[in-house]
Amino acid sequence: MSTHMMKTKVLLVDDDVELAEMLRVYLEREGFEVKAVHDGETGIAEALHGHHDIAVLDVMMSGKSGIDVLVKIRANGSMPVLMLTAKGDDADRIVGLELGADDYVPKPCTPRELTARIRAILRRSSGAESSSSTSPITVGALSIWPEQRCVKWAGRSLELTSTEFNLLEALARSAGRVVSKSELSEQALGRSLARFDRSIDVHISSIRRKLEPLPDGRSRIQAVFNKGYQLIKE
Amino acid sequence: MGRLFWKFFIFFWLAQTTTVIGVGVAMWLKSPERDQQHAAMFAPQSPAFFVASAASTLRHGGHEALRSLLQEQCREPVPPVFAVDENNHELLGRPVSVEMLEQANRLMGSQKNGGLAEKITADDGHTYLLFAPSFAHPYPDDRWEHNPPDGHQGPPPRGMFPPLMPLLAGWLVSLIFAALLAWYFSKPIRKLRVAFEAVANGNLDERLEPVMGKRRDELADLGRDFDSMVYRLQQLMDGQKRVLHDISHELRSPLARLQAAIGLARQQPERIEDSMARIEREAVRMDTLVSELLTLSRLEAGMAGKLNEDVDLNELLSNVMEDARFEAEASGCRIEFEEHSRAIVRGNAELLHRAVENVVRNAVKHSPVGGLVTIRMQKNDAQTICICVSDEGTGVLETDIQSIFEPFFRSDEMKNSDGHGLGLAISRRVVNSHQGSIYANNRSSEGLCVTITLPVKPSA
Repeated sequence: MSTHMMKTKVLLVDDDVELAEMLRVYLEREGFEVKAVHDGETGIAEALHGHHDIAVLDVMMSGKSGIDVLVKIRANGSMPVLMLTAKGDDADRIVGLELGADDYVPKPCTPRELTARIRAILRRSSGAESSSSTSPITVGALSIWPEQRCVKWAGRSLELTSTEFNLLEALARSAGRVVSKSELSEQALGRSLARFDRSIDVHISSIRRKLEPLPDGRSRIQAVFNKGYQLIKE
Repeated sequence: MGRLFWKFFIFFWLAQTTTVIGVGVAMWLKSPERDQQHAAMFAPQSPAFFVASAASTLRHGGHEALRSLLQEQCREPVPPVFAVDENNHELLGRPVSVEMLEQANRLMGSQKNGGLAEKITADDGHTYLLFAPSFAHPYPDDRWEHNPPDGHQGPPPRGMFPPLMPLLAGWLVSLIFAALLAWYFSKPIRKLRVAFEAVANGNLDERLEPVMGKRRDELADLGRDFDSMVYRLQQLMDGQKRVLHDISHELRSPLARLQAAIGLARQQPERIEDSMARIEREAVRMDTLVSELLTLSRLEAGMAGKLNEDVDLNELLSNVMEDARFEAEASGCRIEFEEHSRAIVRGNAELLHRAVENVVRNAVKHSPVGGLVTIRMQKNDAQTICICVSDEGTGVLETDIQSIFEPFFRSDEMKNSDGHGLGLAISRRVVNSHQGSIYANNRSSEGLCVTITLPVKPSA
């Protein structure tokens, strides 16, 4: 892994100073380099200029919230983002995912779960898995280069977050076939699908918005009821 | 239409029908007698009328005038009046039978002759007996036939039953009135039932006031009582819901820290003491939060407890002072108590203690090292006393000065302090429940001044 030499840098934005401090100690022991900041403004500055590998954002902060920070980060690139949301508050979660967060962890959570989520996102977005094929996966006008984490639609490159990329890659590898939601969750989010979890649907709908529809107006990614999603093969 | 409607309807209608029938029968039984007299005395076409007119003609116009009147009447379909003088000569020369004369004399003899016979001395010196015989007149129809005074004949032939039309109309009207009355009573009760059902199903927005309209009676009062009950319930429910929401929200932070501390304890067993201390601290925080929330929600729900003790404010303040002095020493500030008067307040000592204590602790918390917290107590006027607690801290933003008494308000620099922003909220609730007021203002020099005003117990 390329991170052997250099530690993965985590940006932690949480206005609970004590909690952030404990999480910092925990994550550092787990082998990350952690920068903890306690308000949205500093968080945005750090995220845009600090060269972090992943940002962990608390949604509920006074002043600039985690959502504000997320919007700023997404306006400037596809840095992986993990949101800490209030348990049971679906609105925050959906908004976060809609705005391009890669995944969320309900708070309060165990530090172990948080670490696992961070690792899962990083593993997916590193794209360092050796793949024998140097040629892209092609479905119609869509070309995906997993190694370069690059997607092109008819020659024009698409801006996808790492979770969206993983989802599209998983769909493209089995284009013309239905991929179940749990399979997609395993491959794209690196975790098994929780009950009533709408994350996959939210991510898929943002990919749909970025892909051009079929000539007949239907989306290129079709939902198959009770089964999963399918990328239409032309 | 419910059972109640039908019960009301049937009872009212029965009552009305009975009344109508009763009154009707009574009238019907009474009326023939009255009708008979009426007809005899006043009916213009009755034989008595013609006898009377013949009598006055004779009295004022003489026998010639009577003659021409009687001649005229003979040609018309009216009851014939005979005029017989003392020699049994009829004025027009009409034959007069013995029976007729006998009857006329009998009528003259009886007091109640109904005006059917009269004896008058005319201008020509003769005394005429004027009478209308009840038989043997030329008209066979019995329009003018009247009861003989001895009354052996039945009531006049007006049919065997009371007239059908008015009875039917009365019956219909009573039906309509009974229905209206029943509807008037059962409608609000039905509405009440619907409202109760709605509330039972959890819809506390249901109100009866608009449904009852302009009604002013016991049923409308019942509706109003229902409304106030539901309003109170709604307040309580909302309070509980808010508290539940706030608890879940506020418990999340200490829980998250608790979990982080446990995670650290697992990961780094060598620092377990440190982690344990943290876990303990979070547990205590949660405990305080829960008990403060309970107090607050009880106060909000109006279940403050008894407010009928006589509380010596001076004693109470000294107690608060003693407790706060420890804390003040720990954070390096001083407390001074200026007593300018004595006062007894009616209320709950424990709650008042808590209210003042929260304000004082808040002042101590915001005091800089070496700062001075002043508690001043003085009478405003005969009825009120005020307690001012001032500190030398940074004060509060003018925009936040009202919000500091709201639950869960914390100034930005206090976000990570031990408090939950419930202390001053509790103080306000307590003071309000004692009919007092509390407000804060930034001092002109530095820091915040919180003023509690309470009504004093009248000394008498």
